[in-house]
Amino acid sequence: MTSVMPVKEKKLMDVKLGELPSWILMRNFTPKGIVGAFQRGYYRFYNKYINVKKGSIAGINMVPAAYVLFSYCLSYKELKHQRRHKFH
Amino acid sequence: MLSRVVLSAAATAAPCLRNAAFLGPGVLQATRIFHTGQPRLAPLPPLPEYGGKVRLGLIPEEFFQFLYPKTGVTGPYMLGTGLILYFLSKEIYVITPETFSTISIVGLLVYVIKKYGASIGEFIDNLNEQKIAQLEEVKQASIKQIQDAIELEKAQQALVQKRHYLFDVQRNNIAMALEVTYRERLHKVYKEVKNRLDYHISVQNMMHRKEQEHMINWVEKHVVQSISAQQEKETIAKCIADLQLLAKKAQAQPVM
Repeated sequence: MTSVMPVKEKKLMDVKLGELPSWILMRNFTPKGIVGAFQRGYYRFYNKYINVKKGSIAGINMVPAAYVLFSYCLSYKELKHQRRHKFH
Repeated sequence: MLSRVVLSAAATAAPCLRNAAFLGPGVLQATRIFHTGQPRLAPLPPLPEYGGKVRLGLIPEEFFQFLYPKTGVTGPYMLGTGLILYFLSKEIYVITPETFSTISIVGLLVYVIKKYGASIGEFIDNLNEQKIAQLEEVKQASIKQIQDAIELEKAQQALVQKRHYLFDVQRNNIAMALEVTYRERLHKVYKEVKNRLDYHISVQNMMHRKEQEHMINWVEKHVVQSISAQQEKETIAKCIADLQLLAKKAQAQPVM
């Protein structure tokens, strides 16, 4: 696998599929790095959808939607018992 | 400055410190360099007008653009439909009584947002704009104040150039006052001197007059005294004889 740039500095979209494990392992897993990652993610979302002059409902809408999905995944175990068919 | 003096004094006192004296302050200043990079975000870039585009109120536009080259326009919708059917058929998504309440609530929300979203957005934008207008007013007021101060300063500086008029007028006034005082005093001196001289002249005149009168009186008195009684009678008789002669002569003439 010949790459012109070292794997570490590439963005996720430029990383080829085979290099993905090495790329993930090269990320910064120190506590400072993890906190930095959360901060970056938060500010990316904030600056794109909320910190604008004329924000739309989507900026506020995505948070409950993500929460709904997340809580559904968490409560899937109890919901499994309410299935109507036995075999799928 | 003083530290350099101290260091050079110390260097002359102890020759081993001479090299350190030359290095001292300069080295400290050379190793710390601040603000070498280009200043980013200055001046602050303005807020973007609209947020990232979103379809169906949930899914960002980038997802649709990501799938466009491979699947065209309907790709993501087909993907969504397929996923929903898959979840329903495999009962990964279980249909419970909550499903119907979810559907009603989501339907109500979508209706309300579609109907009143724009007006609520405008209302909030108005509030924002009022705040910004207030701040802008303050800024403009302060700018205007400073500009007025600048103009006042300039006007006063221009006045400074015209000070010499004031000084000329004052100088002229003082010169005139001096002239007037000088002439007044000159006149006074003249009057005083004339007064004294007049006094002497009048004294002289008076003496002259008195002497004359006195002399005349004295001469008259003596002449009157010198005429004795007899001489007076003779003189009077002679005068009468002369008058008679004259009268005869005068009478005689008109007859001729």
